[in-house]
Amino acid sequence: MKSKILLTALAIALLGCFSIPTPALSAEPIIIGVPTSLYTPFGRDGLNAVNLAVEEINAKGGVSVAGVKRPFEVVTADTRGGEPGTPVHDALMAYEKLILGKKPHAIVIGAFRSEVMIASMDLVAKYKVPQLGTIAQSPGFQGKFKKDPKKYRYLFRVTTDALIPAGYISHALDTLKKEHGLNRAYLIVQDTLWALGFMGLVRKHCKKTGWEEIGYEPYAAGATDFSPGLTKAKEGKAQVIAMVWDVPLGAGIFCKQWAAMKVPALIIGFVPPMAAPGAWKTLGKDVEYSLQVEFPVGASLALKKVPKTGEFLNKFKKKYGKLPEAAAVNSSAYDAVFILAEAIERAGSLDPDKLVTALEQTDYKGVSGRIRFNENHTAIFGKKDPNETGIAVVFQWQKGKRVPVYPPFLAEGKILLPPWMK
Amino acid sequence: MSTLIYGTITSIVLALYTLGFSLTYGISGLANFAHGALYILSGFIAWSFINQAGFPFFLSALLAILISGLIGFAFYWVLLLRIRGIALSELIVTFAAGIAILELLTWRGFYGIQYSLPLFLRGGIEIKGVAVDYQRLFVIGTGIFLLILLYLFVHHTKIGLAFRGIAQNERTALSLGIESDWIGALSLAFGSALAAVAAIVILPMGIMESTIGYNVLIYALTVAIVGGLESTSGMIVASFIIGFGQVVTARYIGAQWMIIVPLSAIILVLAIRPSGLFGKFKELEERV
Repeated sequence: MKSKILLTALAIALLGCFSIPTPALSAEPIIIGVPTSLYTPFGRDGLNAVNLAVEEINAKGGVSVAGVKRPFEVVTADTRGGEPGTPVHDALMAYEKLILGKKPHAIVIGAFRSEVMIASMDLVAKYKVPQLGTIAQSPGFQGKFKKDPKKYRYLFRVTTDALIPAGYISHALDTLKKEHGLNRAYLIVQDTLWALGFMGLVRKHCKKTGWEEIGYEPYAAGATDFSPGLTKAKEGKAQVIAMVWDVPLGAGIFCKQWAAMKVPALIIGFVPPMAAPGAWKTLGKDVEYSLQVEFPVGASLALKKVPKTGEFLNKFKKKYGKLPEAAAVNSSAYDAVFILAEAIERAGSLDPDKLVTALEQTDYKGVSGRIRFNENHTAIFGKKDPNETGIAVVFQWQKGKRVPVYPPFLAEGKILLPPWMK
Repeated sequence: MSTLIYGTITSIVLALYTLGFSLTYGISGLANFAHGALYILSGFIAWSFINQAGFPFFLSALLAILISGLIGFAFYWVLLLRIRGIALSELIVTFAAGIAILELLTWRGFYGIQYSLPLFLRGGIEIKGVAVDYQRLFVIGTGIFLLILLYLFVHHTKIGLAFRGIAQNERTALSLGIESDWIGALSLAFGSALAAVAAIVILPMGIMESTIGYNVLIYALTVAIVGGLESTSGMIVASFIIGFGQVVTARYIGAQWMIIVPLSAIILVLAIRPSGLFGKFKELEERV
C-alpha cells in the first residue's frame, strides 16, 4: 500500500515537472474594464486593440505583480455613449455598473463621448479606479483636472486632445494658403464638446492667418441633411470645407451629399468615412484629394517613417482580418495596455494610489510615439519626433491611396489640388 | 432656388418615410412601430444580396422589398393576431419587435462606415444654378409615382377597395365578406414593402447604420401625427411643412436648430388639433 502511494506521488510529481508551466494563467487575473460605446467603429476597434495587446502580454506570461505573474482579463460594458441621443446619465449608469459589478483594477479606453467622459471623472475618482482614457478628446478633461488634481489623480489621457489634431489641420491649411493660394473656408462642425474644441482652434487659426470665413455651421450630431450648409458653401465660393464629425451616419451622408451637389471645395478635417482605409470602396473616387488627420499615428495608416505603426496594423489585420476602420485612437488603446502593464510592474502592486504614482512616471515608446504625461495627466503630443512625443499625421487621398503629407518628417508626398480647382 | 429644390427633396424624403406607416394605420388602425426597423433592415438585406451573394442591384432591391413585405405579413399573423384591437398592446409589440430588429442588426455588426448602397446613376444636372444629383431626382420621381400608384390602387383595385372598406367601417366591411385579418396582414405587408422601397431609393444618398431605424420612426410618427394619422393628403402636406421648415431653419437660423422643427410641430399640433391637420379620428371630440 505504501509503495502504491509512493508511486502515485512520484507520478504526480513527474507530471508536474513535465507539464507546461502556466503560472500566470492560473494566477488571479488583473481585470481591465472597458466601459465604452462598443458598437461604434472607435469602440469596437479600440476594444480589439486592447484584446490584441492583452493577448501579447498574456502570451509572455502576464504582468508581474510583486513577483507573481498574473494575466490580464478584459471585461466590457456598452455605454452606448457614441450613439446620438444617448443621455449622459444612461452612459454613466453602464460605467458605474461595470465598476461595481466587475471590480476592474484599471479602466482602459473609457468614455466615447467627451460629455460622458467629463461627467465620468467624478465617478472614477469616487471609486479610485486608475483610468487610461483613449477616445474622448475634449480639452475639458484638463480643465476639470486642474480644478482638483488630487481628486482626479486616477485619470490619465493616453491619447491626443482635440487641440492636437486641430493644430495639424491648421498647419495643413497654412500649406494650402501658402502653396496654392486658397483663402476662403467654410467650417462645418458636429455640435459636441470635442468637435467644437477642435473647430474652435481651427477657426481661430484661420482668422489669425487671413482666411476668409464663408460660414461657420454647427450641426446636431444626429444630422442627416447637409444641403443647407453645402449650398451656402457653394454660393459663397468656398475653396475649402473644413469639417469635424465623428458620427459615421452623418459623416457618410455629408460625403455623398458634397459629391452629389458638386461643391467645388476641398474637404479637410476629420470625417471618418473619408479617412477610413475602406473609404475608396465605400464612397468611391469622390474621396480623392480630401485631406484628413489621423490621431495619433498608427490608428489605421502604416507610416514608413514610424515602423511601429506598420507592425501594430499588421498584427491587427492578421488577428481580425481587416484594418481598423476608424482613423483615430486605436493605437492609443493598444499602447495604453502596455503602459498599464509597465506601471503595475513598477508599482509592484494593484493598489490604486501606488499605481497612479507609477503611471505618472510613464515613459513609453509605443505605436503612437513616446508617451509621457504632463502635470494634467495628459499625454504630451508634438509635431516633430515620435522619439520625443506622441504624434499625429495628415494624409491626402491620391490615386486611391492615403499619402501622408504633414508633418514634413512623415510626408511621403505633397498636398495636391484637384484638377477641378485649378 | 436652392431652398425650393432642397426643401422639396427633404419633404419627399419625409413623405417616403411615412407612406408605409400611414397606409397601414389608415387601413387597419395598426400603428406599426417597427416601421423604422423594417426600413433599415431592407437596406441591409439589399446590401447583403449585392455584396455577399453577388446579385445585381435591382434584383437585390426587388428581393429586399419582397422580403420586407413578407416580414410585415408574418408580423400580423405571428405577433398581432392575438392582441388585435388592443391599441396599447399593438403599440408595445410592434415597438418591441422594432427594437429587437435594430439591436440584432447592431449586434451582428451592421454599423460603422462600410455599409453603403450604390447610387442608381452617378452624376446630376443643374437647375437654375443649383446642382441636383440624379439620385435625388429619382427620390422625387419615386415619391410622386408611389402616391399616384397608391391612389389608383385604393380606388381601382379589388384589394384597394377592400382596404378602404375596412378603413371606413370594419364591421360593415365584414358583413360584406371582407376578411379583416387578411386585410390587416396585407396592410402591414404593403406598409413594410413601402418602407423597403423608401430605403432602396433614399439610402444610396448616404451610408447605412442600424440607428437610422430610430430616426425614420421618429420622422414617420411626426409627419403622421402632424398630418393626421390616417390621412394621405395630411401626410403629404405635413411632409412639406416639416421639410421646408427644416431647410428654411437651417438656412436662415442655424443648422443645429433643424431638429427642433419636427418636435415643435408635434407639440403645436397636439396642443391645437390633436387629430392632426387632416385627421378625423377625434374631430368630433375636438369640436365638443
